[in-house]
Amino acid sequence: MQNATANQRENGAAGGLWLLQVISGALLIAVLGLHMFAHHFVVEGGLRNYQDVLAYVASPLIVAVELVFLIVVTLHAILGLRAILFDLGLSAKAEKTVNIVLTVIGVGAAGYGIFLALALHALAR
Amino acid sequence: MQDVQSTQDTVRPKRPLLAWFDVRSRKLGSWAFALNRLTGLGLVLYLFLHLVILSLLLRGEAGWDAFIKLARSPLFLLMDAVLIFGIIYHGLNGIRVGMVGLGYGVRAQRGLFWTLMVIGAALLVASIWLVFTI
Repeated sequence: MQNATANQRENGAAGGLWLLQVISGALLIAVLGLHMFAHHFVVEGGLRNYQDVLAYVASPLIVAVELVFLIVVTLHAILGLRAILFDLGLSAKAEKTVNIVLTVIGVGAAGYGIFLALALHALAR
Repeated sequence: MQDVQSTQDTVRPKRPLLAWFDVRSRKLGSWAFALNRLTGLGLVLYLFLHLVILSLLLRGEAGWDAFIKLARSPLFLLMDAVLIFGIIYHGLNGIRVGMVGLGYGVRAQRGLFWTLMVIGAALLVASIWLVFTI
């Protein structure tokens, strides 16, 4: 009975993370599409030069949109990696380690990205 | 067309990673699943690489503008085309996986897949044209 409850809880958690993966994926389609157009498809040569990048990130609204993009894409990536690794049939202990390592990587990557965006915004002002 | 949602399966293949590359008795859903994961892994790698590349901006104008020159070389543009393929495929197939997983269009998913792939092919051609012409 206890095992059944634990399984239900695990399935519920997996289902919740799967739903989060779907929601973040749907958000990404919109935000990544916007990113591709704003950063590449409407820019001559596909990439802004240094001065143009600074002028672009001077806007707090642009920085806010980029931060949302960064957080959503990192979450989606980490959840995807987790699903792939868990499909390898890991032991409970290994799954716990994977959860911790991926959380550290995800928080680290998002944290570094936030630092980068804010540093560039400060440079631009 | 059946999607392989192995995280929720009670029975796992004995060698799940190698199963992606096993071409025997492959059905469309298995190919779609394997390609979804391979493009996903590629995009994760690109995400981290992208953060490293953006760090060049902190080194000032010389570092970034030198990278831009390199990024406009034909080899880089070709890699951009591969990247865009990965984004478009993963995104559009993801729409199908999400819809089917939530119970929408389960019976029509083969048609849904091919419809999305036709849209994807058009987007890919337009994007590659943009990459090589802007």
